[in-house]
Amino acid sequence: MTDVLDSAHATGVSFDLTDEQRMIVQHVRDYCRAEIAPLAAQHDRTGEFPRAQLRGLGELGLLGATIPEQWGGAGLDSVTYALCLEEIAAADASVAVIVSVQNGLPEQMLLRYGTDEQKARFLRPLASGQRIGAFCLTESHAGSDAASLRMRAERDGDDWVLTGQKAWITSGGQADTYLVMARTGGPGARGVTCFVVENGTPGLSFGKPEEKMGLHAAHTTTVGFDGVRVPDAQRVGAEGEGLVVALSSLDAGRVGIAMQALGIARAAYEHAARYALEREQFGRPIAEHQAVSFKIANMAARIEAARLVALKAAWLKDQGRRYSKEASIAKLLASDAAVEVTRDAIQVFGGNGYSREYPVERLYRDAKVTEIYEGTSEVQQMVIARQVFGEFRG
Amino acid sequence: MKILTLIRQVPDAEARVRVTNGAVDLEGATLVMDGMDEYGVEQALRLREGGADAEIVALAVGPRRNEDALRTALAMGADRAVHVETDAVLDPISLSKVVARIAQTEGIDLVLVGGQQADWDSQALGAATAERLGWPQLTWTNGLQVQDGALTGRHDVDEGNETFTATLPAVVTTQQGLNEPRYPTLPNIMKAKKKELRKDTLDQYGVTPLVRVVGAEIQARARMNRVIDGKDPQAAAAQLLELLRNEAKVIA
Repeated sequence: MTDVLDSAHATGVSFDLTDEQRMIVQHVRDYCRAEIAPLAAQHDRTGEFPRAQLRGLGELGLLGATIPEQWGGAGLDSVTYALCLEEIAAADASVAVIVSVQNGLPEQMLLRYGTDEQKARFLRPLASGQRIGAFCLTESHAGSDAASLRMRAERDGDDWVLTGQKAWITSGGQADTYLVMARTGGPGARGVTCFVVENGTPGLSFGKPEEKMGLHAAHTTTVGFDGVRVPDAQRVGAEGEGLVVALSSLDAGRVGIAMQALGIARAAYEHAARYALEREQFGRPIAEHQAVSFKIANMAARIEAARLVALKAAWLKDQGRRYSKEASIAKLLASDAAVEVTRDAIQVFGGNGYSREYPVERLYRDAKVTEIYEGTSEVQQMVIARQVFGEFRG
Repeated sequence: MKILTLIRQVPDAEARVRVTNGAVDLEGATLVMDGMDEYGVEQALRLREGGADAEIVALAVGPRRNEDALRTALAMGADRAVHVETDAVLDPISLSKVVARIAQTEGIDLVLVGGQQADWDSQALGAATAERLGWPQLTWTNGLQVQDGALTGRHDVDEGNETFTATLPAVVTTQQGLNEPRYPTLPNIMKAKKKELRKDTLDQYGVTPLVRVVGAEIQARARMNRVIDGKDPQAAAAQLLELLRNEAKVIA
């Protein structure tokens, strides 16, 4: 939909939030400022998993934001959820990625492909915030090329026996419910099946949290499966359909990461703008120096542009329309904006920006990964290009 | 029983307030439910959750934007809301007339109001309302239960605190420490939109402000930015004492 005429619809373009959306975002902002932001720096240093913050967000309904109330969720539309995610990320990007993974991946997969029994047993506790979920697709040699995953699941009577290792799993070790993609057939995309594995199942093990550049409070580990036995009732979707199940929620996940990136960018931009007004050099606030003011202006422009695309992608999802291209564009622009805005924010802070006394160096470290996970920027460009040429070929 | 909880809307503690043409200008400031009134709503909910069969009515008297604060009260769990919409700024004595009238017409058993207001602080509204109604008032409560149609609780007085019992109907003013107000859940925020929010006009109550604000100024406090060198703690302490005694004159 690069041609605006393709997006014409009955109500015209509106950028107004409804009263409910505005109220929800305001409340979530207040909550995050009071309960999450004050601990972000400390959790970055200690690497403590933000369990109390997640419990609080779960009580509000944000761990199952778009899941229907019937299954324990808050029943929000995707636009409202996206805006909430920006608020969480502006307070603490680590918390935001855990929330984004939970909402965007395991829950969406169970909602779309789970049986009612699986929804009652696995989705409801996730959506109501009693449990944390994880998504196990990536392996050390299968990153962007997900279809090359090697982990096996062998049928044994009514059970499946899972053997192999997953890498870079968000909330690994901390999560209760793992959605795991394993090979049940031949090579390629069609040989993969999805299973639910609960923490505590014999044979399941976790590596130490990776020592990452940022997002220290969001634990990322390897997950080992040494003959992990699960009943066939824990298979999600059909045999061989696993990659379809996993990738079905990828677009939603990308919008989530775009909003996370935007939240990080916004936090950096707000810190930089305030600092520029307060800090004086050469007898006046540095905001009055053009070199600084142009940086702030550029930050505002980058954030605004990326946010509009991300919200459009969320809106398309709410309309039940295709939004793959917009989701990829949003993630590409937002993660790029986040890295640039946080880097410039450090520059505005000067030497102070390089110090851990100030928040912007953390924001820079947290921002970088948004260009990498849930599809690197290069993968997003592949997705966008494929769709663009598809449109031209007709 | 019926509980009336008064909601006032005040600038967020971080809001930057300006004065334009002699009046406080709230344009662009984030406005929130007064924290004191949040204690009132929360306490009403807790009385109900504690077993009291209560209908909770939230009331605001003020401009259109007060709706947001009322919706917050509804999202927390109040059953319905009454908004007496007016752009007039009411002094507490005038406001108490509206509150008392509504307490009577609605058949209210318990009125909860903040002990004070975060912005234009008078501490008079609870007392004035109780006086108009001839009801007992309990100020600065930090504990409140309803048992067998009577109130029991604890409140601060000048010398310490007292426990009390009182008959209903009554007026109770709240303060910090009474409870920890809940955050509304997102589904409840959405449901709040569907709850009744009745609109009244100030004319219906025959109230006009008795006091008119003709000018306002923001008190600016300049910092002295004096830094004491702490290399020698003893000398620093001596210097601090000297400054507190002779310059700031806060100790003898």
